[in-house]
Amino acid sequence: MERKVLVFDPYLCSGCMYCMTACSTFNEGSTSLSKARLQIIRHEGHALTRIDQEDDLIFLFVACQQCEDAICSGVCPTSALKRDVATGAMVINRDKCVGCRMCLMNCPFGAISFNLRKKQVFKCELCSGDPQCVKFCQSQALKFIPVEEAPLGKRVWTAAKALKGLLEKGRSEKEGR
Amino acid sequence: MDIPRGYAGSVTVIDLTEQKAQIQPTDIFFREYGIDPRLWLGGDGVITKILWKDFPEPIDPLGPENEIIISTGPWTATAAPQAGRAMLGCIDTKTGGFGSGSFGWFFPSILKYSGVDVLIIRGKAQKPTYVFIDNGKVVFKDASHIWGKETGETVRMIRKELEEHYDGEIRVLSTSVAGEHLVKYSPPCSDGTSCPGRSGAGAVMGSKNLKAIAVRGTGEISLYDPSGLLESSSRAVKTFIEKEPMIKLWREQGATTSLGTAMDWPISGAMLVENRQEADFPHLKNVGCLNCPNPCYHWLQIKDGKYSGLRHLGGHMTFLTVCLRNLGIQDFSEWIYYERLMQELGLDPASFSMAYSWAVDCFERGILTLDDTDGITLKRGDSEIICEVARKIAYREGKLGNLLADGVAEASQKIGKGSEAIAPHVKGKEYIQRDVKIQALMWSLGALTSPRGGDWLRHHNVWELVFLPEKKDTYPKFIGKTCVEVYQESLKLLDMPDELKKNIFGDSQKMDMEWIRDTKGKALFSVWTENLVALFNSLVTCMFGSATMFLMVGFGPTTYSEILNKITGWNTTYEELMKVGDRVFNLQRLFNYRLKGWDYRNDTFGDKRAYEPAQIGIFKGKVVPWDEVLKEYYSIRGWSERGLPTKEKLRELQIEDLANGLEL
Repeated sequence: MERKVLVFDPYLCSGCMYCMTACSTFNEGSTSLSKARLQIIRHEGHALTRIDQEDDLIFLFVACQQCEDAICSGVCPTSALKRDVATGAMVINRDKCVGCRMCLMNCPFGAISFNLRKKQVFKCELCSGDPQCVKFCQSQALKFIPVEEAPLGKRVWTAAKALKGLLEKGRSEKEGR
Repeated sequence: MDIPRGYAGSVTVIDLTEQKAQIQPTDIFFREYGIDPRLWLGGDGVITKILWKDFPEPIDPLGPENEIIISTGPWTATAAPQAGRAMLGCIDTKTGGFGSGSFGWFFPSILKYSGVDVLIIRGKAQKPTYVFIDNGKVVFKDASHIWGKETGETVRMIRKELEEHYDGEIRVLSTSVAGEHLVKYSPPCSDGTSCPGRSGAGAVMGSKNLKAIAVRGTGEISLYDPSGLLESSSRAVKTFIEKEPMIKLWREQGATTSLGTAMDWPISGAMLVENRQEADFPHLKNVGCLNCPNPCYHWLQIKDGKYSGLRHLGGHMTFLTVCLRNLGIQDFSEWIYYERLMQELGLDPASFSMAYSWAVDCFERGILTLDDTDGITLKRGDSEIICEVARKIAYREGKLGNLLADGVAEASQKIGKGSEAIAPHVKGKEYIQRDVKIQALMWSLGALTSPRGGDWLRHHNVWELVFLPEKKDTYPKFIGKTCVEVYQESLKLLDMPDELKKNIFGDSQKMDMEWIRDTKGKALFSVWTENLVALFNSLVTCMFGSATMFLMVGFGPTTYSEILNKITGWNTTYEELMKVGDRVFNLQRLFNYRLKGWDYRNDTFGDKRAYEPAQIGIFKGKVVPWDEVLKEYYSIRGWSERGLPTKEKLRELQIEDLANGLEL
């Protein structure tokens, strides 16, 4: 079965957070940034410096990676975390979750959060195979693509860069001769 | 008065004199102020109502009785597109009348997530203070050590002091040195990024000893129909991106798309386009406010030259156009440095550039001498002199700094000698161009009728500019279309009843260039546009996505009502929402009349050149018939010949009780 994954390009992200507001609206029924299941981590150097001290402005993406060997599922005392075979997502069974936060503590990415009102954890479950975040990303920074294609974007970029270097080197060597 | 979904739920009123804060449920506050949310929405609508109740008499805008009012709206911080905006209102420091400005980045949404619909700040602190709103709870903090710091450093110090866990957890709206020195056109700045400009709110903050407002908010906004909201928003954004003729250019190049295209200034348009193509534009990517499908900020980096290494988030139209046209700065790096400097010092780039430009004119005519300018030879095009003068103004240094810090209207009154005749302002506020006639008619009409004095942002209809016949080689060629094609496409998509389109554009609706050079239909289109602007400023959402603004056929009232209904559960219509805009605009007019006595006599340009035949542009060789156009405008608005709303008009807008005791 085709396995699709979320991939993110920080150089394309415009930092508008529509992925997060769409996520919380779809999954929680209200709009918020804190209840979003994915988080865009902002580095806002530009806003914090004087005119002579420059710093970058860039955004990063943190959400559940849907690990093949998922630690969260291993540490869950009630076996509330199970893989959805159709989407490949690790999904929380809300009837079983006792809110112990073991998964939250052990997730290596900090991708699991706690909902104080519901007293349960929440995480990205890929919206049953149709991630809303991707639908609302207008800058094409977030994509939901087959896992085989996940490295392609970066690979093509690397190759293009290397090729440019090779061509330049070849040209200068030719000219040198 | 029931408050529907989509509102955060409370109103915070802060008294700096007493160092006290009062937090009220929104419905109780709205009842006290007679605000029916469906009639006034939020943003400018709510600000106008608050100003109306709190200021029946004129005040000193820089006295403690002035207020800072930040109002979000039902649109803000929801999953609707472009939900990152709020309005900031006060009594305008330049005109003494109605003042407000739109701003974005993330302060407005985080304020709403902290539970606040409206924030009002009154009084004056005894010593420099900043206010921290932590998920609704208000804390007063000493700001003595931050006083005198520029924007970026202020933001950094406050965020560090409040120990934010991650970038952007705490949002800061601050005033800078120009605000502290009461420069009358100083705006505050939110996170060194977005400024509610044009009404001098930065100086109002300075006069209150209020350095900044910081906010942390992790709450949520409840919605009437979340999945419906997502569906409508997704459809609206998709249509926008697919159909809007300008969007592709915009998404590649951001707000500066407009340089050689939509906002092609007749005076130097061609040069701009060529420059734009040839310059190695140091653009890294576009960045936007909350939920923005067409982000306007450029993340810029200067690669070489004097400012090598400078990074800046900006690249906005106003800066570049005023830089080129008023200051004569041609170099892109210098322009970017100028924009950054304006933000750091807290100066309004439009008002500053007009003040500087006017001073150059006076200097060249001998009205200002070297003695008046503290020995500086004023001229255009030299960015070093310009930046030096900007710093002098921000710190009110010397004769020149003090003179220009009050803006052209006051400065020209002070020095006289014929300088008033070349002072470009309406009702005491500078407008953006040195000579209005070279601009299009609707644009200039907007400056005359704007509730905050000489201003272009309460109108900003670009239809004449985009379709200027001489521009057919510039704008459409970028998208591989002809001018006629784009015009017809846009006309079809424009969210306006057919009857109205007919009355504005004529029967044939074909590409009729004479329409652009004529006055026919312009007043009607202006009224529609002003109502639309007042509407999206009350929702609150962004002008860059709205019809007839930069993108010509962006979101219109149909989209607004569809999405607003999903947020609130109301059943508003196109007509109802346009009436909200009409109501807000009319009350602003009435407010200015009650406070300042402004009527038709004040709808005039301070600059005498506006009444002479134009040498270039749409009205080349002609005197623009301002009086005729204004007369038509008043009658379309349902105003009397004095330019004031009639009782019937106010009844139609359900605000006739507000006119009690007023002589209309």
